[in-house]
Parts: sequence; structure tokens; C-alpha cells
Amino acid sequence: MEEPELVQRLGAYIAARMPQARDVAVTEVARITGGASRQTYRFTLVWSEAGEARRRGLILRRDPADSLIDTERRVEFEAYRAFHGGDVPVPEMLWLEEGDAALGSPFFVAEEIAGFQAGTGPLWTAPYLDSLPALGRRKWTILGQIARADPVALGLAKVLPATTADGVWRRELDHWEGVLDADETEPLPIIRAAIRWLRAHPPPPAQKVAVVHGDYRTGNFLYDTEGGIHGILDWEMCHLGDPLEDLGWSFNPVWSFGREHPGGLLPRDEAIAAWEAASGLSAPPEALKWWELFACVKGQAIWVSSAKTWLDGANRDPILVYPAWALINAQDRGALKVMGHL
Amino acid sequence: MTPAVSQVLADLAGRVARNAAPNIPVAERAGELGLSALLLALAAEMWDGAAEILVLENAELRVLLAKGAAVWRDDSRRRWLEALAGGRDESLRLSALQGANNELKVALIALHAQLEGQDDPESRRLESEVWRALAAASARRRLSGSPV
Repeated sequence: MEEPELVQRLGAYIAARMPQARDVAVTEVARITGGASRQTYRFTLVWSEAGEARRRGLILRRDPADSLIDTERRVEFEAYRAFHGGDVPVPEMLWLEEGDAALGSPFFVAEEIAGFQAGTGPLWTAPYLDSLPALGRRKWTILGQIARADPVALGLAKVLPATTADGVWRRELDHWEGVLDADETEPLPIIRAAIRWLRAHPPPPAQKVAVVHGDYRTGNFLYDTEGGIHGILDWEMCHLGDPLEDLGWSFNPVWSFGREHPGGLLPRDEAIAAWEAASGLSAPPEALKWWELFACVKGQAIWVSSAKTWLDGANRDPILVYPAWALINAQDRGALKVMGHL
Repeated sequence: MTPAVSQVLADLAGRVARNAAPNIPVAERAGELGLSALLLALAAEMWDGAAEILVLENAELRVLLAKGAAVWRDDSRRRWLEALAGGRDESLRLSALQGANNELKVALIALHAQLEGQDDPESRRLESEVWRALAAASARRRLSGSPV
């Protein structure tokens, strides 16, 4: 769909949901590049209400023809909505459309939290460098708050597939090994060895069945120059599971971005301490090692799927080539590191 | 290198040409060309050493498979490894080298799993050798901006 048509159809969609508003228009549309699983646009909604001109910055997240990560739009929407207004900062969700009629594919519209950075590009330079430890403490504190949250009280137990504390590791490993089986385009000896190790050394049952963000890493939040975090983003892989899964994913060596500390931010023991204090849970080393190695398998499955999606031809976005070229070998090295072979 | 560099370069050529048109939104053009530039830089770094990496790796894999054939007690599996170990790279085209590499790695995965289940000293030694070879191969493929 060309942009003028998108603007017109989005404006009509929103106008139908704001009966009190007049002269509703979508303006200042700009595509935010970088996301491989959703198409993201920033825009300004203008309208008049009770004789007064109004405007609000909003975000449109729409499914592309073939996404890097196959997930339900509703999962992402409901996860944001569940945490909005609580300890975990997230943008407000406004409208969810699961059909194709309005914009050609499912989408949601959310508030824009403006004035902050996302991604990792600016982090490793001034004026952000001095705030990295504070940002790290905040990052793992918020992750602990996600782990502490009660999925039933949040209403997410009705949206996300149920699981059990002792079966969650197998469900996750089966899923991502299945993705590798379906999508790998070249053999992966290191990751296959990692899978064999994981199956031979299962982790203890989860301390609780918690909300798992699914992609909690440096760069997937909005931050300022003082170490503050103003919005946790990218909830499309949210599910119920072992809270150590998110901690392990945050320690995936590829998310250190070549820097000394996990996430490029904070010494490992300090990150674990912040998470434990906020979650009220513990991170036993052997269990955490299992989930860190699992994170390497999951990461590799995503990078391999990225290559497969591009090769299949339905989506030739160059963003799909980047993880395949830049991260598959790095992820192998991450797995070697976690297993003590690097 | 999957997708193959040649495939990606062909796609990027079309993408760059399309972005030369005057009616592409500025933000979209900036995003596409920025990503294209990043991929071109990666291709430039990978391209020069790609054949050498595969030739070296295939030779190492054949040595490992030959050693594996000596400790694998199943006859059909031993013959499979011996046949692969006795092969050589007839062509230096990347696609041919990659095809051989894939075939050798399938056998390596099977051998590695077998070694993990055998408890004799020779199997333990060879398993350690497999891990060292995998680490060395990943070091050869490491790009300058690699996070690990």
C-alpha cells in the first residue's frame, strides 16, 4: 500500500473511533526503520473537539507481508495494555485491528513517547556513556518488576497460552528447535550440540510461571541521558514462562554489543542483584546458565529464520539479511562462550 | 554466508536504483540506503576471505571425520565418514565449497553426538578436538564488528 493511501485509510479508521472529534487527519507520517518483525510509523493525529484544535503524536505498528517473528498482534497489544499505568513503563495502547480490511494487514495504534532514544546506536558515545551503569540498574530492575508481576491479576493469563512450572523449559526448547529444523539453510554443529546439552541437563522447575517479555535487551526501550527508561518496547514474543528466560536472554553474549558487561551496561553480578531485588526471586547459577544457553539457541533460530524469510522471497527487506550475516557466527560464538569452549 | 553474497548484491543493486527515483519519501530512502550500505560493508569484509575459509574448514572437517571413522563402531556410519573424509574440493566456486561444507557439517553433527555417547578415552580426545575445531572455525569467520 502506498503512503498516501495508508494515510487516508488510517485517518478514516481513527475518525470512526473518535465520534466526538471533527476534521480528523493523519499528518507528518514517517517510517521508523530497523524493525524486522513489524512496520512502524510515527505520525501526528490532528482533530478538533469541542471547538478546540488538538494534536497527538502516535505510533502505527503494522504487520509486513512476511515477518521475522511470527506472532499474534493481540499478544503484543494486550501485553502493553496490561502493564500500562504500573511500575513497568510502556506506551498507552489505543486501537487494535486484527483483520486485513482497514490497512491491508493487522495493526495497532499507540501513543508516541517522544523525546527519548531507542536502539543502541547512541549509547556508546557521549552524553550517554556516563549513565550506562544507572541505565543498567534501571533495566534489570524493570525486568525484575516484570518477573514479579502476577499474570492473572494483569489479565494476561486469559490471553497467553497456559504453561506449567516444570514443563516450560521443554515447551520453549521444542518450539525453537522446531524453528531451526524448519528454517535452517546450513547445518549448525555448535547450536545442535547446545541443544543436546540442554536436553541432557534440564533446569529446575520455574520458581513461578511469570510474564516473559521475550526480547528484553538493551535497545528495546526508550532511554534518556540520565539512565532513565521511559518505555519498554517490542513485546511481540511475550508469553508465560520461567522468569529466568528473560534474564538469560538479557545475558545473551550477542547483546553485549562487543562491550565488557552484559547488555553493554553493567557487571553481571550487579545486574543479577538488581533483578533479584526487584523480582523477589533468585537466579541460581546452573539454572541461569541453562537459560543463557537456551537464549543462544533461540537467537540462532531467529537469525536463521531471518535468512530463510529473505530467501523465500516474500519479504526482501535488507534488514532480514543483516542478522543472518552479522549474528549467526556471533551467536555460535556466544553459545561457545556460555558452554566454556571459547 | 546465507543468503549468498551474490544474491544479496543483486538485490541491493535493484534497491539502490529504485531509491534513485525522486518520489521516494526521505525517511524511507535514508533507511533503505543506510541498511544497504551496512550490508555492502559486510559483503566487502566477507568476500575476500570466503573461499579460503571454506577450503580450510572443509580440509579440517575431513580430518576430523577420518578420525571419527576410526572410533565409530557402526560399519555403515564408518563407511559414510570414510567416504566424506576421502573427498576433495574439485571447484573453488563458493556455491560448490559451501555445498561440500554443508555435507561435511551434517556428518560432523552426527559424529559429535556419537562421541558424546561413547565413554572411551579416544572418543573424549576426539570430542575435545571437535570443540577446538568449531571454536577455530568461528574465529576465522568472525567479522570485525562482531559482538562476540
